[in-house]
Amino acid sequence: MKVSMFSQVPYRRLPDDFEQRYESVVTTPWDLTEPEEVHASYRDALDQLMAAARSGFDGVAFTEHAQSSYDMAPNPSLLGSALAYATDAEGLDVAIYPMGRSLGKTREPVRVAEEYAMIDAISNGRLMAGFPVGLPYDASLNNGVPPMELRGRFEENLPLIRRAWSEPHPFPFNGTHVQYPSVNIWPRPIQQPHPPVWITGIGNPATMQYCLEHGYGFNYFGWFGATLTSRRIFDRFWEIADQMGQPRNPYRMGYMSVVCVGETDAEAEAEYGDHVRYFFNKGLGSIPLERLALPGSIGLPGLRAILTDPGDFGLYFQMRTATFPELAEAGCAIVGSPDTVAERLIEIATEFGIGQMLAMLQVGSMGRELTMKNVALFAEHVLPRLKEVHREEDWDNHWWPERLGGVPLTPERTMEATA
Amino acid sequence: MSATTPTIEDRAVDVWDGRVTLHVKVMGSGPPLLYLHPAAGLAFDPFLHTLAERFTIYAPECPGTSPGDPHAIHQVDDVSDLVLIYEEAIRKLDLGGPPIAVGQSFGGMLTAELAAHFPGLFAKIVLLGPIGLWRAEAPLANWIAAPPTDLPAMLFHDPSGPAAQAMFTLPEDPEQAVAAQAGLVWALGCTGKFCWPIPERGLHKRLHRITAPALIVWGEQDNLNPVVYAEEFGRAIANSRVEIVPDCGHIPQVEQAETTLKLVNDFLLE
Repeated sequence: MKVSMFSQVPYRRLPDDFEQRYESVVTTPWDLTEPEEVHASYRDALDQLMAAARSGFDGVAFTEHAQSSYDMAPNPSLLGSALAYATDAEGLDVAIYPMGRSLGKTREPVRVAEEYAMIDAISNGRLMAGFPVGLPYDASLNNGVPPMELRGRFEENLPLIRRAWSEPHPFPFNGTHVQYPSVNIWPRPIQQPHPPVWITGIGNPATMQYCLEHGYGFNYFGWFGATLTSRRIFDRFWEIADQMGQPRNPYRMGYMSVVCVGETDAEAEAEYGDHVRYFFNKGLGSIPLERLALPGSIGLPGLRAILTDPGDFGLYFQMRTATFPELAEAGCAIVGSPDTVAERLIEIATEFGIGQMLAMLQVGSMGRELTMKNVALFAEHVLPRLKEVHREEDWDNHWWPERLGGVPLTPERTMEATA
Repeated sequence: MSATTPTIEDRAVDVWDGRVTLHVKVMGSGPPLLYLHPAAGLAFDPFLHTLAERFTIYAPECPGTSPGDPHAIHQVDDVSDLVLIYEEAIRKLDLGGPPIAVGQSFGGMLTAELAAHFPGLFAKIVLLGPIGLWRAEAPLANWIAAPPTDLPAMLFHDPSGPAAQAMFTLPEDPEQAVAAQAGLVWALGCTGKFCWPIPERGLHKRLHRITAPALIVWGEQDNLNPVVYAEEFGRAIANSRVEIVPDCGHIPQVEQAETTLKLVNDFLLE
């Protein structure tokens, strides 16, 4: 299994009563912050990901969220380019994985193609290109895109970006949402015809089907509680794959989880519990439902499904006030000794057919020192065991940069031929 | 108000070169009256039932909001498409002369757009709290992004009154409640395509083109669409009259139904 470190750039010093007074997105008052804390958030996030890159992780991953106090990353390409340069300068062969630029949100898809091509060029072919549809609050409130247009823009933008990366000659583009008289980007990506493409989803079967149809990787975030949601989500994905006659190649499935490693279970809970609670109470739990489900962003069948059975949302509805034991019980975070954590992650990866594990090792208010300890304990005791998962199964990894051992899908080399 | 429930006929009108079927609900008898519904979709309230006693009401459903045809919205890209689709449907309905048009909120904006694009299209227009204008000092509330719990106070001067309560009561049957909620959310999404992120698509540049006599009715305490815009509509439309309804929020036809009915009836009889 491939193992990456995932990090956001949270503001880590929000007031104790934050979740009673504010939402974590869109309207959060900026005057809660101190400049030196803001700077430290970026410095520490990048240093921590670099520490992971030096410790044997296969990749470093991060997300895009604008107008958000739990992730100050309005453009993940900026983080990606810093990491691409720093890892190249140190000769660290890790994947650079912005999870990524939201293509429902962007009004400048060619700009996104250019930014990613730059990261691929700076990193010498180590980019993994993440393209979520995007969260409605981010796309529609932060960037003004009508919620009804999110999916249409996504489905127009992604093929345009693919074409901009690989088409040898300049071409005009006349889309529904964007028009360009001449597309001929410099640079093109090092990886041709394109870097591995990954889409993060929250369980919408339409997104899963889209990934499978186009040969993209699918990634799921376990924040809503792995115990409550994993079986629903992963079974759904693999059943759609079965129906489409596609092999259950684990390397196309990514899973992101909060992971906190201590010397013992008790010590881990004591050290990390408050930070985990901070993240879920003040971050995810403080995004009101109407920010995540703006009218128009979810189709009518999806609306009926969610209203009838809100199970995909897991612990979300309790998250603003959830205690650490409740969060741990639901599987929102995996916290414990190296053995506890490794065994649980191996169990999840094996049971659900996951070939890329993304460990979120900084969470909420967790400071630099404790995060570095978490990275070190994970790298020393957990990482080597996780890397062994799926090793005997002999799958090609089509969703990983070729320079780092991936086997790109091309018209000549299809999944069926290599299964 | 009428005690009986008249039958409502569904007339399917193929428009937009066959890409959209506009469903027009027809009710009542008398001269034709076009009714354009608000952002939440079409609902036959007592105001319409009473008008149906004297007029034949033709109420088109915005593409996407008709049951069983949610994807129709994807055939309509912008306000210009929508205006042309409605104009085509009105012609195809063959109403025997320019109808009266009544529009509420989103439907008021659409009525004004149609009357501005096609000045001969309507005999008279009634705009009930129409959206479509925007001034920095009087921003409209964002009804699409609002939590459902905020809607009563956004739409009604008296959110605890019977009119408001009736509007927000869900069916008791769980399946029907899900269908109603999902239908409402989807309708807000469909109409939101022409209002998001700011419900202003340049109508202020076109209002002067309206030649039909116009009645503009506004709730004095409209918390969604401030009453200051009533004056601007009145100023821009040459042959118009503005009526401000006291103790009334964004939906005069529901919150002050009798007052609004009288104003509308008097105007239509003139």
